[in-house]
Amino acid sequence: MNILSALFNGNVLALTGAALAVILAGIGSAKGVGLVGETAAGLVSEEPDSFGKVLLLQALPGTQGIYGLLTAFVILNKIGLVGGTAVELSTQQGFLFLAASLPIAIVGYLSAIAQARVAAAGIGIVAKRPDELAKAITFSAMVETYAVLALLASILMVFGIKV
Amino acid sequence: MAIVKMDKISLIGLQRDRNEIIDSLMKMGVVQITDIDFDNSEDGLSDLIAKSGDEEKVIQLDTQIEKIKSTINYLSGFNTKKRGLFEPKRVVEENELNEIIKNKSDLWSIVENIDSLNEKLSLLRSDENRLSNLIASLEPWENLSIPMEVSSTKYTLVSHGVVPVTVDIEALKSELSELAPQSYIERVNRDKDQSYISIIYHISCGDVVTEILKKYGFSKVSFTGLTGTPAANIANAKRQIAEIEEKRKNIQKKIKEFAGVRDKLEVLHDYLEIQRDKVKVLSKMAKTDKTFILEGWLPSEKSSEVKNIISGNWECVLEIRPSKKGEEHPILLRNNSFVRPFEVITEMYSLPSAREIDPNAIMAPFYFIFFGMMVSDAGYGLVIALATAIILKKFKLQGMAHKLISLLFFGGISTFIWGALFGGWFGNVVEALSGGAYTIPPLWFNPLDDPIRLLIWSFIFGALHIFAGMGIKAYMLIKDGKVSDALFDIIPWYLVIAGLGMLVVGGVIGSIGKYMAIIGAVVLILTQGRTEKNIVKRLFKGILSLYGVTGYLSDILSYSRLLALGLSTGVVATVINTMGTLFGFSIGGIIIFLIVFLIGTVFNIAINALGAYVHSSRLQYVEFFGKFYEGGGEGYEPFKIKTKYTNININDGRQNR
Repeated sequence: MNILSALFNGNVLALTGAALAVILAGIGSAKGVGLVGETAAGLVSEEPDSFGKVLLLQALPGTQGIYGLLTAFVILNKIGLVGGTAVELSTQQGFLFLAASLPIAIVGYLSAIAQARVAAAGIGIVAKRPDELAKAITFSAMVETYAVLALLASILMVFGIKV
Repeated sequence: MAIVKMDKISLIGLQRDRNEIIDSLMKMGVVQITDIDFDNSEDGLSDLIAKSGDEEKVIQLDTQIEKIKSTINYLSGFNTKKRGLFEPKRVVEENELNEIIKNKSDLWSIVENIDSLNEKLSLLRSDENRLSNLIASLEPWENLSIPMEVSSTKYTLVSHGVVPVTVDIEALKSELSELAPQSYIERVNRDKDQSYISIIYHISCGDVVTEILKKYGFSKVSFTGLTGTPAANIANAKRQIAEIEEKRKNIQKKIKEFAGVRDKLEVLHDYLEIQRDKVKVLSKMAKTDKTFILEGWLPSEKSSEVKNIISGNWECVLEIRPSKKGEEHPILLRNNSFVRPFEVITEMYSLPSAREIDPNAIMAPFYFIFFGMMVSDAGYGLVIALATAIILKKFKLQGMAHKLISLLFFGGISTFIWGALFGGWFGNVVEALSGGAYTIPPLWFNPLDDPIRLLIWSFIFGALHIFAGMGIKAYMLIKDGKVSDALFDIIPWYLVIAGLGMLVVGGVIGSIGKYMAIIGAVVLILTQGRTEKNIVKRLFKGILSLYGVTGYLSDILSYSRLLALGLSTGVVATVINTMGTLFGFSIGGIIIFLIVFLIGTVFNIAINALGAYVHSSRLQYVEFFGKFYEGGGEGYEPFKIKTKYTNININDGRQNR
């Protein structure tokens, strides 16, 4: 019973939400950046001069991880774990924070990987037509839109929760 | 602020003047020579003229250029004097050029010389590889005392080989001594994979030995072509490698002596490139027995100058006429110094075609605003603006690089303005350092306190951006004489979108908005099916067109990224400051703070500037350009002196006369 009440403690739930945002979005970005990096290394082994260009493409799926961290930080800030005094949350409030973290956690994870695929394909564009980097970046940025929207939803939810 | 007007030039000149005229055009560097369209030329003409040009000569020059270029690259590896990244090209005067052309053969012999030295180096390298491999293969056998060429004596056979390291050598030994007593086995060496063994046995027990060895997985190693003991061979190879090293040093020293001619080779390279371009451009022209014909484009403002020079110096037929309406021509954009950097964004998408208008002047302010909103930190803005200003001042950048850095400079200024409005100075560094005692208040409001307010502003900016795009579309439609299209396709949407927006505000404005939206929708229903004859179809199509509102709504919602990315900079900056101040204000704590702050700030600026660039571009490409822009124009590339290493002041045809 003790464990159960500890588990449904509001602060534990809120921290779980913050952790999920960092973990899932972070894993997505790590996978994504890794995937593009592998492709990029292939091109750079042939054309070392293209390093700067493909590095841009590799950086693109990295933002989801940052968005996850961001959401976590906003949550921590709101419940007073960093800066300010810690707040005791009710179980319901805890669940609210957990729910608020889900958009960026889940969309961040999946969109980072999808974006990485586009970016890796974009490296093919750079290989054949080095001048068309902007188009490769734009394709990849189309995917990122949904991560941005998820981040926005998460942040607005967190801001909206009354503590 | 527009696409520069172009004139079409057609020139028929005498063959004997050809080279001089081409020199002169190259020197002026304003005419883009285009391919002569043989198929469309007037009847009879195509029989008289032939394609000009000399492919072989181009290839020959290209080969020479390549050769010099690889020599230059090779020499730069030996160069003592390093060149800066943005160092301007060296200016070469005519007498220096003439000197070099006169001594061309000397330079070529140096190139050949370096080539052959280089070849020697690569031979040495392959020798060295061979020897290193030999050493690597002999090293395990170093302890073998039998010369390698010995494979038998009068009564015995000698065999060397390997068995897997898992094989128990003692077991092998005892089995051998039992079944074939006239044998001697020795383990010479072992490594992590295998044991190296050497075995001597009497001829009579050959079969037995072979059988046993086979059982233990023995595989024979033969040293074909080698004599003496492995140790002696290894020593010999090492000595040879040392000799090679010595030889290599000598050759490298010789090559180094040539490093000084690199400057001259660069001039020769550029000179040959100019020659190549002159020959290459011939392939775009046509010729008859006595004349040559060229066509091209040049900016209208240069027309009279070109006309005066060409017809003043040579006898020729020269016609320069303005471009016809709707005729495609090379695109040159001309904008003021604020708008010019933003051209790079459009160029990366596609240049406008000659029928369109240059969108940069309208795009630039929006890009400026969006970039700043997405980074929105006054401190970061200052850093970006200062860093780029220093780069711009210190290095004379050209073309694309100059535009990109200037773009970042303006982005930095915009970032500074928005940062001050939102109260972000390196995040909350003042608050964090003073323990909350001081804060820099925002000039407008802090988005962290009231994100919804900024979200609404983002949508307003987005709507204005989209309206601007639709406005350009309307303008272009009216210019093409399609006034009704502009009236029915664009204006009602203005009413609907603005009306829906006002509806959200509520009150009197809300009810005005309601009527605006209704009027707009009614106009759309009545007009969107105007191409249909059937009245029912027409109405149906009109109603269906209202579905387009979802497109506009999702476009406007897309601008919420302005808020999201702006918040993200501020929050990450706060994270950095919080992490930095975790260790208090002892000396160690301050050092840690400085390190965390510096690294974190650089990282945050880099990632956010990249994000701002990417997402501002996306808003331009997808939301804005999507409303009106087609693109597809070809860039204006005049025939001019193009050099890689130096700026050569060549004389043109006129001075040669």
